[in-house]
Amino acid sequence: MIVAGVLRARRRSILWWSVAVAGVGVLYTLFFPMMQTMDTGAMLSSFPDSVTAALGWDALSSGAGYLHVTVYGLVGMAVLLACAIGAGARLIAGEEEAGLLELELAAPVSRTRVYLERLAVLAVSVAVPALALLVAVLVLDPVLGLEIPAVNLVAATAALWLFGVTIGLVAYAVGAVTGRRGVAMAAGAGLAVVSYFASWVGPLADLEWLARISPYWWYAGERPVANGADWAGMALLAALAAVAAGVGIAGFLRRDTAT
Amino acid sequence: MPAIRVSNLVKDYGRVHALRGLDLEVETGEVLGFLGPNGAGKTTTIRILLDLIRATSGTVEVLGADPRTAGPQLRARIGYLPGEPALPPTLTGREYLGYLASLRGAAPRLDELVARFGVELGRPIHTLSRGNKQKIALVQAFMHAPELYVLDEPTSGLDPLLQQEFRALVAEVATSDATVFLSSHVLAEVEQLTRRVAIVRSGRVVDVDDIASLRARAGQEVELSFASPIDPAVVDVDGVSDVEVDGTHVRLLLHGEPDQLLRAVAPHHVTRIRAEDRELESVFLDLYRENGS
Repeated sequence: MIVAGVLRARRRSILWWSVAVAGVGVLYTLFFPMMQTMDTGAMLSSFPDSVTAALGWDALSSGAGYLHVTVYGLVGMAVLLACAIGAGARLIAGEEEAGLLELELAAPVSRTRVYLERLAVLAVSVAVPALALLVAVLVLDPVLGLEIPAVNLVAATAALWLFGVTIGLVAYAVGAVTGRRGVAMAAGAGLAVVSYFASWVGPLADLEWLARISPYWWYAGERPVANGADWAGMALLAALAAVAAGVGIAGFLRRDTAT
Repeated sequence: MPAIRVSNLVKDYGRVHALRGLDLEVETGEVLGFLGPNGAGKTTTIRILLDLIRATSGTVEVLGADPRTAGPQLRARIGYLPGEPALPPTLTGREYLGYLASLRGAAPRLDELVARFGVELGRPIHTLSRGNKQKIALVQAFMHAPELYVLDEPTSGLDPLLQQEFRALVAEVATSDATVFLSSHVLAEVEQLTRRVAIVRSGRVVDVDDIASLRARAGQEVELSFASPIDPAVVDVDGVSDVEVDGTHVRLLLHGEPDQLLRAVAPHHVTRIRAEDRELESVFLDLYRENGS
């Protein structure tokens, strides 16, 4: 199994990303009781309502709103995306540039299998940190009185995982087509940044459609921490992931691999 | 049926022509050396045989199949050693060889080869010396006892003792009907392994020859030191060229047998002698020089 071998080589990396993502979740969640005692109303009223609404600050006083704004919608997500983009760019293009794909491709396995099994490694590399985050917030939720239904945390984490895998898969696919890690990283990071800004500039500038075509919106637009699973958004993410995977394998099967 | 048959193979990278109509046949059961200077197209040819890269045009047959379409079933029958093998730095040799063995299904010779080459299995690969890494790469090419060995510069990085062990290993698999196709840019590296060599230059096989005549063509660089200054005329015998005299020290190029030269210098007091086979690159330099003038 390629999956087993590649996961073994990545085990430490996956562990540290899990610590980082869960750590962000824990740190922000621990601050929630303090936020509740602070008078945030005065601070927020200095911003126009449209801005506070776009950034989700209007809901900061609830546990779900707070966790959405801080962890799931911003910092935790950013760390998980960094993990996903790094893994996506590394798993084919990075390893190929380092010469590490050579003996695997010369072994009696098809390129299709190499592509699909390494893609599975990407999914696991994003899933383990996401699960670590889920466990952390599931434990802290009742302790700190966030009052978020566990089912919403599961749904939000699943959506976060899917979002991470989708963005990571764009990096993975671009890496598989080009064989260049830098290009793959730029593609993944570029898509993440553009989609983030599109989803909050859109509503502010009365360009709702701009938000609607943004993968970030598909993930977080309906605030799954507060409102539960957004099946339509997740379906769109899955569709984008499938397209990226298809383009990636088509290019990977056709091209020369580097030494 | 030849183990490898390549005809009119062309590989272009944009405007760069790596292979310009290469023809090659490797008989089943033979050890064929694939010799040429760096950049001549050796690695490009080898990587096409493994379907790591695809030819621009031409036909390739490996063990009777087209590598482009035969896929995993064909690669199962080949042992491959890359020219500059890269191994995952964080894994140990045991983990990585175990991983590659699992991809191959079975590796009946793994334990025996590890013992024979004294492979360091327990430490992460990034802590190993170049020679120890090369041993791991060698073992993975031989561990599944394939029918065809494709070895790109196999002895680079091995110390002389291990080179000898490697030569013995190649000799063994050759007597067991396996085919060995190995590349090198150093004649001395292959001459004890093969009888026949194909010489590649600028993307074409320019010559297929046996080792003895090739060695005669490459010649040796000879350095002689004498007890007293020497007249250049002394070493002016058949087969000697490019004589440089610096007082008591003589450098020259020798083609063919050294007998006449040794007889000519024997009456003088020789304090030191050194003779070294020239790298194949020099043969091509000679060829270019001859063609140019």
